[in-house]
Amino acid sequence: MDWSVIINNLPFLMKGLWMSVKLATLVVIFAFPLACLIAVGRISTRRWVRYPSAIFVNAMRSNPLILIVFWFFFLVPLITGKPVGDFASVMIGFVVFFSAYFTEIIRSGIQSVGRNQIQAGLSTGLTYFQTMRMIILPQALRNMMPALITECVIVFQGTTIAYVVGLREFLNSTFLITEVTLRPAELYTFAAFVYFVVCFAGSSLARQLEKRQVRT
Amino acid sequence: MTDPLVDIRDLSLWYEKFKALDNISTSFSSGRCVVICGPSGSGKSSLLRCINRLEEFQEGDVLFEGQSLRECPNIAALRSNIGMVFQHFELYPHMSILDNITLAPRHAKGKSKADAEALAHTLLERVDIADQAKKYPAELSGGQQQRAAIARALALEPKLMLFDEPTSALDPEMIVEVLRVMRDLAKDGMTMLVVTHEMVFAREVSDEIIFMDDGKIVERKETDDFFSNPHSKRAQDFLDRILMKI
Ligand SMILES: Nc1ncnc2c1ncn2[C@@H]1O[C@H](COP(=O)(O)OP(=O)(O)OP(=O)(O)O)[C@@H](O)[C@H]1O
Ligand SMILES: [Mg+2]
Repeated sequence: MDWSVIINNLPFLMKGLWMSVKLATLVVIFAFPLACLIAVGRISTRRWVRYPSAIFVNAMRSNPLILIVFWFFFLVPLITGKPVGDFASVMIGFVVFFSAYFTEIIRSGIQSVGRNQIQAGLSTGLTYFQTMRMIILPQALRNMMPALITECVIVFQGTTIAYVVGLREFLNSTFLITEVTLRPAELYTFAAFVYFVVCFAGSSLARQLEKRQVRT
Repeated sequence: MTDPLVDIRDLSLWYEKFKALDNISTSFSSGRCVVICGPSGSGKSSLLRCINRLEEFQEGDVLFEGQSLRECPNIAALRSNIGMVFQHFELYPHMSILDNITLAPRHAKGKSKADAEALAHTLLERVDIADQAKKYPAELSGGQQQRAAIARALALEPKLMLFDEPTSALDPEMIVEVLRVMRDLAKDGMTMLVVTHEMVFAREVSDEIIFMDDGKIVERKETDDFFSNPHSKRAQDFLDRILMKI
């Protein structure tokens, strides 16, 4: 084993890692609020809101991530009519795909709060939307925090799929260096180590939050 | 005002195929305290929830101050005139007692934070938990929580208060403190509809009593009349069972 290959190519690899982190972060930032809206729609008593939300969620969840990413990569430029860049096209695919998974987490979080709290909010003259935003979602968020963080870790792992459209995220960068240096053993070991560290940090955070939740 | 505050007309409510309220017509005038009793599943809670349209009834109508609930364009605004108190309090666990109480005045009635808080402190004083404002619901006893919930409902400055078994989740010593608050409210002329099995409260505080069974109002009488004169057999059986338990 010759680890110098990693030191020598570290700037390139870190650029890739930064791309992965940026992509995952932006995906979560956009997917989460979107998922909140869809989740509220998903439990609405109005059919014309509930059905489309359900169809969206099920359609996304029954397709592989790679297909959705590919699909949006080619679809987004068609819709916008002008190129928005590879990064944006890929990101939109991820946002759409993961918002479906976030929706289901949020939905079960909302349902863990219970109908009576909704009735309490509504009975004081708050609108349904206000009740959701100020009473139900904050409680739901607290209950679902561990599941949400776990999902964020999955998003981070999922960003590896971006390599299919040539985006230089971390794994793709590692791959490119491997092609040149022919040192796959060292490079992939390093990549696995990095993914482990990031994901372990995430799941530790989830555990911490879970503990804090029990205390309050 | 001669009109009744709440006028219920041929109201029927179904849950799927099950008819929970069966063609109910009745009305409630301002300033009166009416107790609703009846066996479990008779539709008492359902009736209360129709009065602020938490339940979407399928037939008939409820008029609140002459306004049809069925045709009400802004049901949230209408609800902000009706306070509701639940069996399990339903305080918001992630907010302090003060925030629980000021939430609706600020966001549904458009009061300023300062006004809402001033009102909240007055009400907390009134329900005798002025020192609990900063605490969270889980830090209060059941009786204190229910009184906070009453304060939250009163913060709407409501024209009507609905109580759905406000004491049945409480220990006996806490029941007393909640009933005392409710008695004071009735004395002050608040219009109240109270689902309860507390017959002592009913006898001492209420003006009228409604007995429900099978989604229908079987009987409605002035309180003195209800307790002194013989009534329908079903109501009598029910009363015997309730009073036996005490
Ligand atoms: N959300 C619901 N969905 C389906 N059925 C319901 C629902 N709420 C109430 N019911 C049914 O409607 C009937 C009347 O219920 P309701 O809660 O109004 O009775 P109640 O008189 O308040 O009873 P209790 O004393 O047990 O509170 C019951 O048979 C109940 O099972
Ligand atoms: Mg009930």
